[in-house]
Amino acid sequence: MIERAGYLPGLQPDDVEWQTLRFGPDDARLEIAVPVLSDTQMKALAGRVRDASRRHLKTLPVARIVDIIDRAIARMLDRDDPYRRKAEAMLPVVTGYDAEMIRLGLTGYLKTFRRQGLNAFLSEDFPNPQILDEFQPITKGGFARAIGPDILAHIWAGNVPGLPLWSLVSGLLVKSGNIGKVPSGEPLFAGWFAALLAEIEPSLADCFAIVWWKGGETSREAALLGEADVVLAYGGNESLEAIRNRMPITTRYLAYGHKISFGMISQTALDLRQAPATAHQAAYDIVRYDQQGCYSPHTFFVERGGRVSPQEFCLYLAHELACFERKYPRRDLSIAEAGDVAAWRHRQEVKSFSNAEVEVMGDAAGLWSVVYSEGDEEFAPSGLNRTVKIIAVDSLADVAPRVAPYRTLLQTAGIAAAPEELFVLAAALGQAGVTRICALGHMTAPEAGWHHDGRFNLLDIITMTEIERSAETAADAFASYAD
Amino acid sequence: MTQDQVIEALLAFIAADNADDDAFNAMALDLFAYQFENNTPFRKFSMQRGRTPRTAKTWRDIPAVPINAFKELTLSCCPPEQAARIFMTSGTTNEGIRGKSHHPTLAVYDASMLKNFKHRFMSDLDQIDMGILFPTEDVMPNSSLAHYLALAIGNLGGPDSHYMMRHGGLEFDLIFAEVERAVATGVPYALLGASYSFVPMLDEMRRRGKTFALPAGSRMFDTGGFKGQSRDVALDDFYNQLSTGFGVPRSHCVNMYGMTELSTQFFDWGNETCPSVKSGPHWIRSRVINPLTGEDVPRGEPGVLVHCDLAHFNIVSTILTEDFGFETDGGFVLLGRADGEEARGCSMAVEEFLKAAQGMAAE
Repeated sequence: MIERAGYLPGLQPDDVEWQTLRFGPDDARLEIAVPVLSDTQMKALAGRVRDASRRHLKTLPVARIVDIIDRAIARMLDRDDPYRRKAEAMLPVVTGYDAEMIRLGLTGYLKTFRRQGLNAFLSEDFPNPQILDEFQPITKGGFARAIGPDILAHIWAGNVPGLPLWSLVSGLLVKSGNIGKVPSGEPLFAGWFAALLAEIEPSLADCFAIVWWKGGETSREAALLGEADVVLAYGGNESLEAIRNRMPITTRYLAYGHKISFGMISQTALDLRQAPATAHQAAYDIVRYDQQGCYSPHTFFVERGGRVSPQEFCLYLAHELACFERKYPRRDLSIAEAGDVAAWRHRQEVKSFSNAEVEVMGDAAGLWSVVYSEGDEEFAPSGLNRTVKIIAVDSLADVAPRVAPYRTLLQTAGIAAAPEELFVLAAALGQAGVTRICALGHMTAPEAGWHHDGRFNLLDIITMTEIERSAETAADAFASYAD
Repeated sequence: MTQDQVIEALLAFIAADNADDDAFNAMALDLFAYQFENNTPFRKFSMQRGRTPRTAKTWRDIPAVPINAFKELTLSCCPPEQAARIFMTSGTTNEGIRGKSHHPTLAVYDASMLKNFKHRFMSDLDQIDMGILFPTEDVMPNSSLAHYLALAIGNLGGPDSHYMMRHGGLEFDLIFAEVERAVATGVPYALLGASYSFVPMLDEMRRRGKTFALPAGSRMFDTGGFKGQSRDVALDDFYNQLSTGFGVPRSHCVNMYGMTELSTQFFDWGNETCPSVKSGPHWIRSRVINPLTGEDVPRGEPGVLVHCDLAHFNIVSTILTEDFGFETDGGFVLLGRADGEEARGCSMAVEEFLKAAQGMAAE
């Protein structure tokens, strides 16, 4: 089976060079043809998108765009829809994640982008979303209108299914033309969504494009970077820096680097009734997409003094991870990933020989590992792919100072604590660099309108054009009806 | 066994022409028993893996110690203060902590090195004039490579052999003068050094527009790769440049794969094609395993390398590396670490975190 990735308005498939990426085991091989555009084709594509977004997208009221996206999402949520069926069939092969985990994950995720969610996105950033449609009075006086860029370039990364939707939807809501580069790890979803949008609203067919190049291939990247007004990129700091260095200085750059997230469990959540449920939720956050998300936890800080000790909590957590392994088995790892997991686990084991404060639990095949530590060890990433460290602390108040040295790398803290603790802890965590605090069990599913890495999804993309009061007043003098 | 008995047995083992499976197993298991008895952290490790000398039947049953253990634990059968020499890793990774190997004597290391080096690098020659692109042992007393190269030049170097690195920099004028002398006299010549020290030399040759045609029988020796030390060079490009720059065929450009955590090294039979097949002498054996389960992978499939090096007697003989490779006829092929593999997600990985955290500390 060969599936074509990408979405290339104005280009005939025969005019494009295609490269084949292979996924899955021999008996369930999936081949994906990804487009390799020439510089000229990339430039032509950019011209077409720029032009179409000016003529069509920018003339639509934002409410209408919400409506179109909502209809596309409804189709993706419908399990009988051909696009949804394709996603359920192919994404497990491409990403290696468990099919049922993907099915449930997709549904939960797509629900974020229904009409009510989209309106939440809008009102988070614009108290009056009509400012995207026409000049609106603003509080300081005068008028303003929010204008999306002609071309917003997205450079996506990773294999978490559907991830491109966050920024693609943001781009559409502010009426920008969008050109997205899909990663080799999951090259399909964005192209399907683009095709679906064009099917629902043919007048928008040329307002976006989905392209591909091999990661690190600089010439094609440069062709797109040169055309874009705003560039939004995901990836490691090294590749983000490389992109910045290849970009015109006048282009706005929104870089979303790799992040590390963690959980915190108060003694109030560790009584005999609550502890198993708390462990279940923590395990769920670990299992979802095998800790590949920036919001996925690497470490849980667990407070001493509850009925269930931090060490006992490890046993609960280990049990939950073992159960999840049966329900949603871990993805098959590449040999390099297996090496990373093994190296991490071995390092912990070695520590446990010289240090009675460290204990390692895990299954024999390395499908999951829980490391318990009560020392004052450094906050650091786990080996990913269902490896987690539990650090016992006397008080959760000790956590913020421990993570603060890594402030630019922090993102989500999942917290199980009583209300009065929650707000005190949140204040300290915010100071330390954490930008999102949520319940355990929700770490991998940010809500609609969240501020990704503490930033504004829509405001960061647009520019404001303001009519100052002086212009308005002065104009009055030139009116035909001026006295 | 006492330490003296172990050393005596090993010297005889290395001196022998070969060793069959039974002989290798017997020596490996004797050493396992010796290390189990005298090396406390290793004993703990083995017990935790459920392996004792009682239950190990072949060398494959000996638990492989992950190389990062050399950083955290003192793995030595003799009291560490009685070590004649301590070799340390370069400390470029893992928070700057250096892995240590204690050697109560270098007799076994030296015997292992010399016999294998003569066979794999010198082959037909008793001595050859050497240029060493690496610091001397005095400058780097804890570097196993510095000692290795000192053995080479001291025992097998011809009368016109020189060290060619001073104060951390290559002495280009000396290198080129020596190479030109060899070209003029027609006596075979050898350049030896870390792979990354060849790169600035090749760059300098290009800058000066120099190429040489060394006499037949000349050869090159590089080891260690490029990561983090010089710009990264594709292996084929590297050997092409060496070959055209010095007139030495790629079949005479030999790469050695060794580690501070070993007392025996692997060689290829030249680099006519890359990647080359590596193999070692009869006192070291390797397995390719799935790092998570510790099981052997099917032959030919990629996995992580485990080496059982009898010559590394005082520390632990069987180590689990972080090097990827696959088994093939006549040895194994090393694979670059996750070449070209994009990160799976947007979650931070350990390596990247260390780099970023170091960057923050420097600000």
